[in-house]
Parts: sequence; structure tokens; C-alpha cells
Amino acid sequence: MNHMTIPERREGPVDPMPKSPRPLEEGGGPRRPETGSPEKDSLMKRMRKVDPKQAERYRQRTGE
Amino acid sequence: MRLFGIETEYGITRDDVSETDPVVESMELVRAHLAASFERRWDYAGEDPHEDARGFRVSGLQQDKEEDEFAKVDAHRPFSFHDMKSDLVLPNGARFYNDHTHPEYSTPECRTIRDLLAQDRAGERILLRAAQRRNHTLGGLHVRLYKNNTDFHGHSYGCHDNYLVSRAVPFPALVAGLVPFLVSRQVIAGAGKVGTEAQESGYVPGRYQLSQRADFMEAELGVDTMHNRPILNTRDEPHADRRKYRRLHLIIGDANMCEYATALKVGTTRLVLDLIERGAMPHIELDQPVAAVKQLSRDPDLKAVVRLQNGRRLSALELQESYCEAAHRELAGSDDESEWLLAEWGETLHLLAQDRLQLIGKLDWITKQWLLETFMREERIGWDDPWLASLDLEYHNVSPAQGLYFGLEAEGKTWRMTTDEEVEEAIRNGPSDTRGGLRGLCVQRFSDQIQSMQWEQVRFSGRFRSRTLDMADLFDPQEVRRCMDVFQQAHSPADALAAWSTRKEAQT
Repeated sequence: MNHMTIPERREGPVDPMPKSPRPLEEGGGPRRPETGSPEKDSLMKRMRKVDPKQAERYRQRTGE
Repeated sequence: MRLFGIETEYGITRDDVSETDPVVESMELVRAHLAASFERRWDYAGEDPHEDARGFRVSGLQQDKEEDEFAKVDAHRPFSFHDMKSDLVLPNGARFYNDHTHPEYSTPECRTIRDLLAQDRAGERILLRAAQRRNHTLGGLHVRLYKNNTDFHGHSYGCHDNYLVSRAVPFPALVAGLVPFLVSRQVIAGAGKVGTEAQESGYVPGRYQLSQRADFMEAELGVDTMHNRPILNTRDEPHADRRKYRRLHLIIGDANMCEYATALKVGTTRLVLDLIERGAMPHIELDQPVAAVKQLSRDPDLKAVVRLQNGRRLSALELQESYCEAAHRELAGSDDESEWLLAEWGETLHLLAQDRLQLIGKLDWITKQWLLETFMREERIGWDDPWLASLDLEYHNVSPAQGLYFGLEAEGKTWRMTTDEEVEEAIRNGPSDTRGGLRGLCVQRFSDQIQSMQWEQVRFSGRFRSRTLDMADLFDPQEVRRCMDVFQQAHSPADALAAWSTRKEAQT
């Protein structure tokens, strides 16, 4: 995805649900992502807080 | 409409000790869910993973050498088998336990995608709340849970999707119809992964790929799940009337954070099973399916083509389009959910080819790639920087305060298909039209009178004549609702079973 120039999030399809609203629209249904600028700084801040060595320390046993 | 469900093994770690003991931590996590002491209820007599759908039985299942060594240590732990498993059945009919050193949440059986999404999210919250209780006991935010499938050191754990299938469908037809679909399903359902790895062979950083599990697929067919993992698992353990049903147990899938990806993963598989039952699946035979899984996963540009046995070459998108077109031809108009799935499947394949940025917040591998590439530009680092594997891991952290996916969700950048109210309701109750909801109702009303449970039955304690609620062939939604009404109104399990028995006898 080298062509990406985000963090600006482009809006998704206007709203896929009007085309195909069922069966998920009743009682709330899917919510279209908010439009407008993403809170880039907030998310980047959260990402910078991640310890770069977190994955190196992370060990699990084999599951199924 | 067929039944389906998802089993998810979570990664677990604790950061206040030098070495996390996953057996103890998984046990303690499950027990933290309990308000009272653990009582042994799950009956393992109904479980036999050695039966193979190809018509034979294996004497043993494979595990890697490292796990052989761990098993020797486990044999000398001061816990019984039942203590170690700590198997719980929850009021929503889900199962929550320690499976192979991972806390696992198995959703109750669902009939609609909408219910499945709510139940899958309910599982995330149940595990999160158990972790919060455990952390309260430990005195700090030490235990972390990850809804992913790898530890970036060559150890994988699963997220299995299961489907009720008629035994009348020959198993070879399932194989022929499903393998090319499953090999290419990762373009929709892949959770994305930084780097490559293989069983017990460590990790090579760099190179973003579509799927977490593709590196661990080593066979086309097989009954094993911990070693030599197959694209199509042949375990024949129906948890239902064996004469009538199969349970298709798929182990190739990734654990998804995006609800939309979960909806399409399970929904499109359901459609393909409908095609197979009608004999209307596309006739595609891959030349080397195991190599194709890895090849397609390692090509996020979606340009790679794989060879078919007839010599043709198709990309992952072309493989998926073949199935999608067949499903449109055969299944259009069959029901509301199928209509929604057909429309979204086609739209997603179109966007993957034309404008994949519109799938951010809908498909995990696209969303994660966007996040990581944004971060790489900000920090001026490359794919081989170890920080990226850590960010990949944190994408799957189920804590809303730490997880990167949940950070996006909090900012409204993901596609919520459930509401918080639906998820809370799914924690309290199972689906009202499947035996999963009935199982949950038994736990809610008569918990202290349950002697044992399996997926297909509930056995009550007491001295009355018939003590077992048999659900091995209880799949008709109207019949399930009638049975739930009986158990809702009865004063005791004995009354409920007697009333249900009388009702069934009157029907015959």
C-alpha cells in the first residue's frame, strides 16, 4: 500500500447499509465510521507508548 | 439456515513476572470470572478428536517436540485435569475454559450473523472483565490478553469457525468445494501480520502479509490441529446426531477484531456451504494448495497468481470472484441475510481491486497495514524494525485503554455492526433460536441442579427417571423456542423434562 498518504482517513462507502440493510439494520445495526479528521495525535501517542520489545518478550505455547 | 459458532483461543501474558506460566494464568483467568468456587461440570465423554471424516480413526494426534516436553511438566503439576481445564458453561450458553494453555471462549451456537457478532464481542468483554478481576487481585494492570494467533516466535493458537452440515453431503464434496475458497478467503478475513514464521522455526521480521495463520498451514487435509495443521480439518466430532450431521471445524482462520471481517468470514463460508449442498460450487482445483495459502498471504498487493490443476492461473481475488458469482447465481433472493452477504462480498472484492482504503475499519489486514504504514512514516522506520511486530501485537490487545484496534474504534474509525446494548444482552443470554440459548437458560435457572454438560446434552442431578435434556437433534428454531418456553416456566428440571417429554410424545 505504498500509495497511501494517510493518516487522513478517506470516507468509506457512503453507507453500504441502505443498499443492503437487512438483516443487520434492525435495532441499531451497523454504524458507519464517523467522518472528519482522525484523532491522529491520540492514536499515534498510543502507538508510541508501545514498548518496541513487547513482541520479543511475548511467548506463548502452541495452541490449536 | 445453518448453525455456526466461533472458538477463540486468546494469548495471555503477565508483565510482573520474569516468565509467565500460561497454564496457571489461563486457569486463574477463567476462575476470576467465577463469583463462587469452581465446580466440575463439563463432560468430556462427548469429545473425541481422533475420528477422521475420511472414514478412519487415528491413534494419536501430533504435537511439536517442544509441546511434548511441556506435557511432561504438566503431568506433574499439582492440579487435576479438570482443575487445569476449569471448564465453565456461561448463562449465554458459551463455554469458557483453559484450552491448551490459552483461555478460550466458544460462542454458543448461532443462526444469524448478527447474533454471532454480538456473541463474539461478548466473549471479548467476558475475558476483559475476568482480566480486570485478576488484575485487581494482583494489585496492578499485569495480565494482558490478545485476540490474535501468533507469538512471533513460531507458536500459533487458533480461532476456529464451525458449521453444522448435513451428513448427506459427501466429505469429498466438501473438500473439493471448500479448499480453493479457504485458500483465498484470507483476502477478506486475514488479520494481517508483520514478518514470517513457521512452527518452531522462529520469526523473520519484515514483509507484511495478509494472514496470521497462513505460515502455519502445512497440509491440505488432516485431523491434527497443533502440528502439521491442515487447510481443511478432517476432525469428525459432530456434537450432534452423527447419523444426520457433521460439524465442519475450520482451523485456517485468523481471529478478527473487525466485526465486518468476522461477518464476511463466517457469512461467505456459510454461502459456500449452501452452494456445495446444492452441487453448485465452481469447479476449481488448485495445483498446490498449501503453497498457495502462503503465496497469497505474502502478497498484500494481491497480484500473485496460483496455478490450477488445469494449468490456468488465478489470483486470490479471481478465486473469490468465482465463488461470489456462483453464489449470486444460485442463492440470490433466498433470504435477507444471504442478500446482505452477497452484496457486501461483491462490494468488498471490488474495493480490494479498486480502492482498498475504503475498507479501513472493515477488514483487519487493511486496517492494520494502514495504521503501521502511517506510524512508519511518522517515525521513519522500515518493516524490519522490531517495533512493528509489537504494534501488530498491540492491535489485538483486548483492553480498550491499550489496544490499537480499540483506539480506532473509540475514534469511530471502525465499522460497528453491533451496539453495546446487544453485546451486553449477549453476555446475559444466548440466541433464542438455538440450543445454545437453551443451554444458557438451563445454567441461569437450574445451575445448582446440573450434574454435567456437553454441547449436545444437559444432565441434571436428582432421583427422577429421565434426567437428560438431549439436544443432539434439536435444531429447528420453533422447536428450540418451544423447549425454552417449557424450561422457562417449569419449577424444576424434573418438571421441565417431564413436560418436554410429554410434548414430544404428543407430536409423534
